Amino acid sequence: MADFTLDEDQRQIQDMARKFAANELRPIARECDEEAVAPSEVLDKVWELGFCANAIPENYGGYDLGRSALTSAIMVEELAWGDLGLTMAALSPLLMMVPILEFGADEQKEEWLPKFCGERFFPGTAAIMEPRIVFDPLELGTTVETQGENVVISGKKCMVPLADQAEHILVYASPRNGDAPQPVKAVIVDRNTPGLSIGPKEKNLGLNALPLFPVAFDQCVVPASRCVGRDRGIDYMKLLNLSRANLSAMAVGVARASHEYALTYAKERFAFGEPIACRQSIAFMLAEAAMEIDGMRLLAWRAAWRLDRNEDATKDAGLAKMYCAEQAMKVVDYGVQILGGHGYIREHPVEMWFRNGRSFSITEGLAIG
Amino acid sequence: MKSLVCLKQVPDTETQIKVNPEGTGIVTEGIKHIINPYDEFSVEEALRLKEKFKEGEVVILAIGPDRATESIRTALAMGADRGIHVNDPAVNTADPFAVAQALAAAAKDVQYDVIFCGHRAIDDDFCEVGAMLAEFLGLPQVTLVTKVEVAADKKSAILERDIEGGKETVEVPLPCVVTSQKGLNEPRYASLPGIMKAKKKPIDAKNAAALGVSVEAKLQSKEYSMPPERKAGKKIEGLEPPDAAKQVVQALRNEAKII
Repeated sequence: MADFTLDEDQRQIQDMARKFAANELRPIARECDEEAVAPSEVLDKVWELGFCANAIPENYGGYDLGRSALTSAIMVEELAWGDLGLTMAALSPLLMMVPILEFGADEQKEEWLPKFCGERFFPGTAAIMEPRIVFDPLELGTTVETQGENVVISGKKCMVPLADQAEHILVYASPRNGDAPQPVKAVIVDRNTPGLSIGPKEKNLGLNALPLFPVAFDQCVVPASRCVGRDRGIDYMKLLNLSRANLSAMAVGVARASHEYALTYAKERFAFGEPIACRQSIAFMLAEAAMEIDGMRLLAWRAAWRLDRNEDATKDAGLAKMYCAEQAMKVVDYGVQILGGHGYIREHPVEMWFRNGRSFSITEGLAIG
Repeated sequence: MKSLVCLKQVPDTETQIKVNPEGTGIVTEGIKHIINPYDEFSVEEALRLKEKFKEGEVVILAIGPDRATESIRTALAMGADRGIHVNDPAVNTADPFAVAQALAAAAKDVQYDVIFCGHRAIDDDFCEVGAMLAEFLGLPQVTLVTKVEVAADKKSAILERDIEGGKETVEVPLPCVVTSQKGLNEPRYASLPGIMKAKKKPIDAKNAAALGVSVEAKLQSKEYSMPPERKAGKKIEGLEPPDAAKQVVQALRNEAKII
């Protein structure tokens, strides 16, 4: 039977994340959007919550307290409610840490995991998305070819978070040995590898607080020992699903932010002698947004729950991601619509959530948790 | 450095409070509860003292129904070491006198260099428990504290407290009771490892009998009521601004009688 009672840890984490988002992220969200920065103090503050060290085993310097996709979904909904761009920037070390923790060979865990247990923010990141007309995460254009003791990586990536500060980038690429399709590999590449070039910071519609960069690989030679999981490789689909569940939960957070703001506004804004929330055209939008937000959350939680049970969550995560991206867009659009002309100007945050909300339908793999 | 922190669970500041139909209290169902914000300053200060002296213990003492455990756990998640939960219907809703009596009884079994209380609880605003607790224990008390400097030998402390229009600095022998005021510190967030480790920290449950106190309340609340709703304002319409202004002044003088 289904049970929606959060356990005590989850309640505590939800409370903490809600408070953190309201006090630390929301007040600076607009400024970070305008100036397109994720201040290092904020990244450090989120880091101090211990989201990396929490899951890392004690022998690598962590606390070994386990990972749960569902708990993560609960937490990132709250943080994304505070600000999506800052949340994704602050949690980007997970993009590198989780694949190594889940699939890394022992010596890889030994080498890399302690880096994620330090006191200061460790800027880990991953390159998954590619600048093509249609990006299909299952048909990566970036290739990795084995040559003796090395692998050679070629291709172009985009939307790589924090590529300007990260010393290493986890690169997802398709093997190019023979014709038969082979599972995607994840390779840890040093940023100063010859052939690797990081382009100028991307200028996007939204997510301005998240520093994103294009990264090109021109015949980058990397030791084969840098392939996560060595010969065993990674379960790429599972990582995508983890990200889809988390992105879905973040979409709930952004939609909720917009909906709550519009609801308060509609109750306070008077027109024709009554609050505009009393007019049917507004009330219907508010009701629909409330329904969609709950529906989105149920799908996000089911995908996360499936992942926690170690079952194949491809369908659940796919449905959740698709639905949450679409409905988030509807809700943030309603947010702008309900505020009318005020919704379009930057004095109110709904236009920012509208721009940020639009990202969900194009992003993949940017929120592994 | 050993600290005993008295903590009260109160309705969230954002809760819309409703009085129950009998007028005997507020509706508590569906309300979110938090640590009294002034007690959160106390928890933080106690943790900082322990960290500064690199030894000691932070004990959380709370009175309240089952749900108060969650607030104790939040304090444990922030880093406190253990909790004492006095849960007894006779004490849970008692007046400040009885609450201070029960706290004093519970404090007898704890070793401490300092006892922290919030200077007031944001629900009933009595501002009495800290002072009464100090009296029951025969300890000096310093109220409305915004800065704590404990001497290296832990025998005394220099405290800064809020007074009208300024600050007063006092020296006090330890142990003493300190009541925390806003500005004392910026409480930390519980970290994920902190939250997960808090489950394993002990919380000692006690009732009035176990503490050996018989509650004698000095105060009985008779009735709870909401403040009267604001009456609708008066609109002066259809006049030229100078005439309207005259009318407003007249109304303020003759009807509202405030000028």
